[in-house]
Amino acid sequence: MEEEKVAIIKKIIWLRLAQIIINERYKNGDFSIPIHLALGHETLATAVDFSMTEHDNLLLSHRNMHYNLARMGSLNEELNEYYLLKNGLAHGHLGSMNLSNPEKGISYCSSILGNNLPVGCGFALANKVKEHNGMVFIVTGDGAIEEGSFYESLLFLKSNQLSSIIIVENNEWSLATKIEERRAEIDLAKIAESLNVKYSVLKGNDPIEYKKTITSLREQTIENKSPILLEVKLTTLGYWKMPHEDFPDGKFINYHGGPAPEVSEKEYPLLDLTNKDPLFPLEKYLPKKELLKIAKEMAAQLKSEIS
Amino acid sequence: MKYVQYINSLLQDSLSKKSNTVVYGQNIDAGSCISGLTRNLSLKNHTHVINTQNSENTLVGVGFGMMINEVSSIFFMKQTDFLLLGIDHLVNTYNIIRQTKPTASFTIFPVTVDSGYEGPQSSLNNLGDFCSIAGVDGYTFTNKNDAKDIITNHLIKPGFRVMSTGQKYLREEILDLEILNKSHSDDYFQYKKGSKATIVCFNLALIYGIKLHEDMLKRKITSSLFSVNAHLCSDYSSIINDIKETQKLIIIDDTKSRNRLSDKFLTDVLSECRLNKKIVVSRSFNEQSFYPNNDELEIDNNKLIESVTN
Repeated sequence: MEEEKVAIIKKIIWLRLAQIIINERYKNGDFSIPIHLALGHETLATAVDFSMTEHDNLLLSHRNMHYNLARMGSLNEELNEYYLLKNGLAHGHLGSMNLSNPEKGISYCSSILGNNLPVGCGFALANKVKEHNGMVFIVTGDGAIEEGSFYESLLFLKSNQLSSIIIVENNEWSLATKIEERRAEIDLAKIAESLNVKYSVLKGNDPIEYKKTITSLREQTIENKSPILLEVKLTTLGYWKMPHEDFPDGKFINYHGGPAPEVSEKEYPLLDLTNKDPLFPLEKYLPKKELLKIAKEMAAQLKSEIS
Repeated sequence: MKYVQYINSLLQDSLSKKSNTVVYGQNIDAGSCISGLTRNLSLKNHTHVINTQNSENTLVGVGFGMMINEVSSIFFMKQTDFLLLGIDHLVNTYNIIRQTKPTASFTIFPVTVDSGYEGPQSSLNNLGDFCSIAGVDGYTFTNKNDAKDIITNHLIKPGFRVMSTGQKYLREEILDLEILNKSHSDDYFQYKKGSKATIVCFNLALIYGIKLHEDMLKRKITSSLFSVNAHLCSDYSSIINDIKETQKLIIIDDTKSRNRLSDKFLTDVLSECRLNKKIVVSRSFNEQSFYPNNDELEIDNNKLIESVTN
């Protein structure tokens, strides 16, 4: 198997295990800041990480753990930031929801819905002014696309011919409401078409397809000097069932933020036996025995790092 | 020369000294170019001029995005109320970016709506309202020399600020006043020195202060005249020293806001000075504030002077 494919698979499993360690400490009450786990988002973050070059930049939202971990490739600095320690990634000044890491290309991160989109536009415009070679990834979600800044920013990127990819992480939830509970359907393909912006969609968590697609889109946006809208359909794992008299099987509670009470450490950290879980499709590329071996290796690596 | 032409020349001069600055906003290089304020800025030293879409929230964020990518910019707005759509960034974006001590400059330059007859939006005439929400540096200017110092020293320097002047001033001939004294960071300027009263003007009210000073002189009453330009000003030492001499204070504040810098100033004065007379001339906020009107701060100078002398 190609070296890069193995590296991608290893990173996805490592990202899952790293988040589970954070979750264990979160459940233990270690952190005073709000943190949003990104269980279920590992394939996308890994594909973006592997597609980025040193010339590219990434602007994130409140749920940024997966990208920060993927770009950093280690856990300690992020953990220490969550503890608000001076040796944290941002010296304890940014916490979780605004955590950026310019040295690794994460130039800005905002806890405010839709806020990073305009800042990403400005960042991309500055690239153009400086005749910089790279492009800008701006990550948002299905909640933030309801904000005016989403349309305004897409228009700005197109009007000013800025190389950029807006990634919409569509998990169908905004805090405790599903899309159909809060708004009409938004057809992103049509919005993109109306502005003559290329639209692409990813779903199913195939890591190799994700990496290939994002790498290709990156090249296209640079070549065409036009933004691309990439919708990624995913599931934020960590949901649980709350005992409730009206629901015999328990009431479904979506995971938004805070600790995930039913997620805990185990030998192979698979959380859902469908493609909703980025670890599930990995079996297409490696036998489960190999995946388990990688998980043990990654767990040992993490344990050694945080000890 | 009209004030707007003069300010335009100062902008051109500043841009000629700083290459690769992005100047952007709605219609800034088209039509009247905001009544001439932003005309011909593209001629200077590789300045990038962009006529933008009408998306103020995004356009404020764009300036901060350029700032973290080390490109300086100025966002011009025809009216101050346009900035209301961008205040999320003044708080939530700036408070993150300011921690990184950026080397690039970002200035938002709206024109304060004070010429009258605009209606509802003219109730917002206090740049300080924007400054107070996140400790944003802000300057207003009213005449030839304060504008020169503020634009030269602050328009394109590392960091973020807002600056403005009023529609009324822009369309009139330049007000040319000699500066007698000023605070080192251009927070306030002194234009006259007298012994019988201290006049302190806030929020573009200098024009009223000048008239009062002249009317007092006609009665052989000399007064000191100050104008406060910075909306986060906190050190009024020179003004307070002057008030200690005159012991008579007249504040003229043209803001319609209930968040008045002059109130804070007065608190500082009262904690340090014994006053024989204290007069505050300010706007009353009433139903008329929402309707088109001539937008003048009405002052009866004769009555005011009598009050000072009695």
